[in-house]
Amino acid sequence: MPYIDELSAAEIAAGVARGDFSATEVVRASLDAIASREPDVQAFLQISADLALQTAAVTDARRAKGEPLGLLAGVPVAFKDNMQLVGTRTTCASRMLEHFESPFTATCVQRLLDAGATPIGKTNMDEFAFGSSTESSAFHRTGNPWDTQRVPGGSSGGSAAAVAAGEVPIALGSDTGGSIRQPASFCGVVGMKPTYGVVSRYGVVAFGSSLDQVGPFGRCVCDVALAMDALVVGGRDPLDSMSQSVPASFREQLEEPVEGMRVGVIESLMEHEALSAEVRAALEDARAALETQGVQFVQVALPHMEAAIAAYYVIGPAEAFSNLARFDGVRFGYQEPDCATLAEQTARSRARGFGAEAKRRQLLGAYLLASGVYDQYYYPAQQVRTLITADYRAAFARCDALLLPAAPTAAFRFGEMSTPTQMYAADLFTISNNIAGNAGVSVPVGLGKTSCMPIAAQLQGPAFKDHALLRVARALERGVEDAGRTCSGTVAPGFARMGGVLA
Amino acid sequence: MALTREDVRGIAEYARIALSEQELDEMTSYLNEAVELLEPIRAYDLSGIDPTFHPIGDLTNVMASDEPDAHGRSLDLEVALGNAVSTRGRAFRVPSILGDTAEKGAGAEGGDR
Repeated sequence: MPYIDELSAAEIAAGVARGDFSATEVVRASLDAIASREPDVQAFLQISADLALQTAAVTDARRAKGEPLGLLAGVPVAFKDNMQLVGTRTTCASRMLEHFESPFTATCVQRLLDAGATPIGKTNMDEFAFGSSTESSAFHRTGNPWDTQRVPGGSSGGSAAAVAAGEVPIALGSDTGGSIRQPASFCGVVGMKPTYGVVSRYGVVAFGSSLDQVGPFGRCVCDVALAMDALVVGGRDPLDSMSQSVPASFREQLEEPVEGMRVGVIESLMEHEALSAEVRAALEDARAALETQGVQFVQVALPHMEAAIAAYYVIGPAEAFSNLARFDGVRFGYQEPDCATLAEQTARSRARGFGAEAKRRQLLGAYLLASGVYDQYYYPAQQVRTLITADYRAAFARCDALLLPAAPTAAFRFGEMSTPTQMYAADLFTISNNIAGNAGVSVPVGLGKTSCMPIAAQLQGPAFKDHALLRVARALERGVEDAGRTCSGTVAPGFARMGGVLA
Repeated sequence: MALTREDVRGIAEYARIALSEQELDEMTSYLNEAVELLEPIRAYDLSGIDPTFHPIGDLTNVMASDEPDAHGRSLDLEVALGNAVSTRGRAFRVPSILGDTAEKGAGAEGGDR
């Protein structure tokens, strides 16, 4: 019998449908795989074993009765811990929400459950998604499965690590400034941030409402396409007013040839001083992998990209400050005892409940929204947003996708980023995509020549052309496989076949 | 112009986060560093450029019809109160809002949590 980490999500769903193994056997194998890896990886904040076994039993009963099974029948999935799932806590990796029981289930979670997926647990993250390394979790760090002395990236670091370590084949994350694509890059898995509006955010704890988007991680593009189909097949979600309907045809279009498609590269970004030599070399390999399949490359420019970090660190904190004002310790969240007034209770509950980075972002947001300051930063940032969006529009008039790094370096070591602003600056290749609301996907293209850690290429596409973007991602994956450099589809070597036999 | 410690104290009060004196020092240097990072947005001539407040350009206000919620989003009472630390009966319980002093000797009543 195979090990659970040798199977893709698609293979698990097909095996369950055929009766090669039951959903319950899959859950047991997955829980076993998790138990043997978690002491080193610590990707999870909560394992929902009972819920998983109950869900799997329902799937098995459906099959026994001959009822149709969903796209993800019996597939173990993990959810970033900012997504509500009844029967689990939703902590956002914060002391503020340490005991918060999900009062309802998020639409993105429900869509995967509707497709037959088995909810295995909730994954670690930077507190309230503020960070790029998962180091700001209030509970524990998460190790990068390729080298546990290095960070998994963030903020969806637990989801990326869980997939890379072979604990689950699919996990969901959220991406406000790169929080899916960068950890996917660091952990050697595929991670997609769909166009703003493609996946409902109802039931996902809000960070930056004009930037937030939910998307999947998988070990191969095919599994990401499968998860995308499950996420969008229910159509527009009336519970998220930004939700848009897109066809559930991600898998259908995946293998279509890319010959004649155009991919743009931005020379100034490829020569950016922050970009490491090994990432630059990997991007050249990625370009070659697409060129052999008939993709044409064109030079494009995003002239206002240099202002993207500044615009993001105005808009993001301002929106975060507004969104996190709800944590007053009254209706939910940590409440400081023995306070004489509500004002004191609020200020002391927030002081005790939030960690350092959550306080930093909120203070920055509070400052930027203050009268007088608003006109200096917030309004100009939204104008710069118009310029960045127009840059993308001009670029996508000449190409179908852009090829760029997902992160300037491979995964760094714990504590290596010494100041918060140093960490912010490393977001430069991912955030403009959130500012414009476009789609982006991170695809592993091999190991770095000096770090021996996974390196990814990022592909960005125009808004609502997510299907075509994923097709280019699949072509890139195929090209990398053909060149024999793949780390796609595989579990981090130190954890491969570590428990989890399907029996 | 750099933010002073007293400026940051005011911001923290507005944000309702009670900072310790040490945190106040750390946040003052952080905020000054962070604001410096934001300078590039002031480097462009932005006259006549419309702002973009959200990325789906052609979407105007999304209004729901004025009908009882058909999606069952209203939470049951025990679920709605379940995550609160202090409740009384059907209500969330809070300290004094208008006055400066707490209800002295009010003690716990039936149903208090």
